[in-house]
Amino acid sequence: MMIENYVCAIILLALGMYMLMVKKNLIQVVCGLGLLDYGVNLFIVSIGYNEGATAPLYIASELEYLGQEGAVYFVDPVPQALTLTSIVIGACVTAMALSIVIRIGQNYGTLDADKIRRLRG
Amino acid sequence: MNFNEIVVHFPALATMVLFLGAFLVTIFGGKNRGVRVFLAMLAATCSFVMVLCVAKYVIIDGNMITYWLGNWSPVKDYAIGIGLEVDALNAFFALLVTVTTYLSGWYSIKYMSRDEGGDYYYTLYLMLSGSVLGLVLTGDIFNMFVMIEIMTFACVALTAFRNWSKGSLEAAFKYLVLGSLGSTCTLSGIALLYAQAHTLNMAQLSAFLSGTLNQPNVVLALALLLTGFGVKSYCVPFHFVAADAYQAAPASVSMLFSGMVNKAGVYGLIRVCYIIFQSMGLSTVQTLLVAIGTVSMFVGVTMALSQHDFKRLLAFHSISQIGYVITAVGLGTALGVAGGLYHAMNHTLFKGLLFLCAGAVYYATGTTNLDKMGGLSKKMPQTCLIFLIAAFSISGLPPFNGFVSKWTIYQAVYEKAVSGGIGYLFVAIVALITSVLTLASFIKVTQSVFFGHSRESFRDVKEVPGSMLVPMWILAILCVVTGVWHEQVTAKLLTPATNAVMNVTRYVDEMMGVGYAAKYMGANEVVYSSEMVTAGGIWNPWTWLMLFGIILVAFVLVSAMGKSGRGKVIDAAKSDDKHQVFFGGEVADASAVVGSDLFWGFRKNFSGYFKVLGGIHSGVVNDYAMWAVCTLAVIIVYLNVVL
Repeated sequence: MMIENYVCAIILLALGMYMLMVKKNLIQVVCGLGLLDYGVNLFIVSIGYNEGATAPLYIASELEYLGQEGAVYFVDPVPQALTLTSIVIGACVTAMALSIVIRIGQNYGTLDADKIRRLRG
Repeated sequence: MNFNEIVVHFPALATMVLFLGAFLVTIFGGKNRGVRVFLAMLAATCSFVMVLCVAKYVIIDGNMITYWLGNWSPVKDYAIGIGLEVDALNAFFALLVTVTTYLSGWYSIKYMSRDEGGDYYYTLYLMLSGSVLGLVLTGDIFNMFVMIEIMTFACVALTAFRNWSKGSLEAAFKYLVLGSLGSTCTLSGIALLYAQAHTLNMAQLSAFLSGTLNQPNVVLALALLLTGFGVKSYCVPFHFVAADAYQAAPASVSMLFSGMVNKAGVYGLIRVCYIIFQSMGLSTVQTLLVAIGTVSMFVGVTMALSQHDFKRLLAFHSISQIGYVITAVGLGTALGVAGGLYHAMNHTLFKGLLFLCAGAVYYATGTTNLDKMGGLSKKMPQTCLIFLIAAFSISGLPPFNGFVSKWTIYQAVYEKAVSGGIGYLFVAIVALITSVLTLASFIKVTQSVFFGHSRESFRDVKEVPGSMLVPMWILAILCVVTGVWHEQVTAKLLTPATNAVMNVTRYVDEMMGVGYAAKYMGANEVVYSSEMVTAGGIWNPWTWLMLFGIILVAFVLVSAMGKSGRGKVIDAAKSDDKHQVFFGGEVADASAVVGSDLFWGFRKNFSGYFKVLGGIHSGVVNDYAMWAVCTLAVIIVYLNVVL
């Protein structure tokens, strides 16, 4: 039922890795990191999804119907919390990477990965 | 309130006080250097003392600490809150982390005093320390991931801290790219596990996953987590960024990196392989880890031979020593784990010390280029002495600590080779050769930095101040102490930690309640052979002598077969002086022997090998990412085929 989500997540991950491996412009490398992040986020949030379920909020009176016919049916809240954490971390990664890229651009005068290799061997 | 009631809160508090210190330094330490140093060291001291108490309670007294944050204890055998669980393994690594943090903190007071932005430095320093401490103390796998991310950020920022120095920005960027790739692998693995088990608690996961290693999604999760923690431990296909980062970061930070950041990766590997997946009983997983470790050992040390930068050379040695640890841990035997943990501890001590020495030399002379130094032993006698202790330790000379742990590792590998698996003999030989090359490499460093001819520009070089020497002396003394009193160290520290690694049931029961493991793991319970063979039992001198004999015969044969050049008369007009034999009795007053000149012939003979390796370390971030992704693919395919 959720097969599209998983396929999309895998495609995003694969594209992200492809960009890391192939793209020579550092900004594009940062985009690749973003894609990796989105892929994982989509994957996690799909794990917690249940067909036809509602948001994981309930009031005390609903609790007594748990496990019975007609009980409220929730999606799993934990993956949503995980995704939120992961999104925040992803935003930090992007911000930090871009700030370093700016300094690299100022210092090296280029964003070509093939020319930014003073440390090697 | 007695000691035992308070100490259970210390794992959480020791982590929190470091993060609190980071915030306080940012708020109050911006203007005044004294205030921020005071705040930072206060936080570090509190954390250090608390971890010492935890270590005493857990390792010496043999207890375990289970701590549910917010008191969200398990309901109906289901962990719903974030739990901290401290067994002897956690406490052992926490001890390494805080010792490194504490000494690095004292060292950096003087060392970083010439840099601007000291408040940022201490904020990041405390964030890094807190995250690694949190990582090794937590019992929740997602909490572990968050700590890994904080660790990566702090590492990246600290790598770029001296952003005017050569290559620090690109090192930081490469570190960020590879670190994020590793984190993505870890998070995907965690998500896969959550999809199966609907829990993030490591003890409960461990109970759930027992006997499930034939399911493809569990195998995939294992491969992803192995890669994720492999990236953090900088074993060989992921080691490129480590060399860059160690070189570019300030020495006190390099000490943090090699002392605790890669230990966090090793801890993760041990926790994942031994406890969560209980996979170390399988010879196929053992083979994988030992292969990674052996390659790390050899590649690290050979790359170190061709380095010209003091800290970059140390970085490659760091990779090589981590190879020893992973090899030993990958053996899956009690002796192997004990040797691996011993070597991890020793590596923290002596490699931290070596980085501090490099920092002292940099502080005094302003360079880390080996070819531009020389004759510093007269100017900096204490640093020289300390460096020699550290160099002897890492090269494995008795009675220093490196000897004992390497000796244990050789024995563990040999034991494995005897009990089947003749291929482990090859691993033992590689380990021995690596040790020899390590010694060779440190002879080169000693010669080019401290001995030999001095230089005009070093006329005014002075010994570094006392606040830098004291942490170095403490580490040096610890190097000797852990080498000489190795039996006490083994009995008091390593045996409890090894038993903790080998006992899955106890880990699960302590966290989830007694009987949980028996109830949910049942027949699938994995029992590792936790019998620690006494050091003398495995050791059979005659077989080792035979091994040496075989190697000697092979050496003689190879050297007898080859090399048309021997004895040939060289055309004097064409020969250049570099090809002459050094120290052949001729007067050589004016020829300064710099670092690159030693072992010149060795590198010339194997120039093909060094050329290939140099090409692999190309410095292009895409290549590094390619290596990581390809290794991930190989590990996934390998584990899917064999499991």
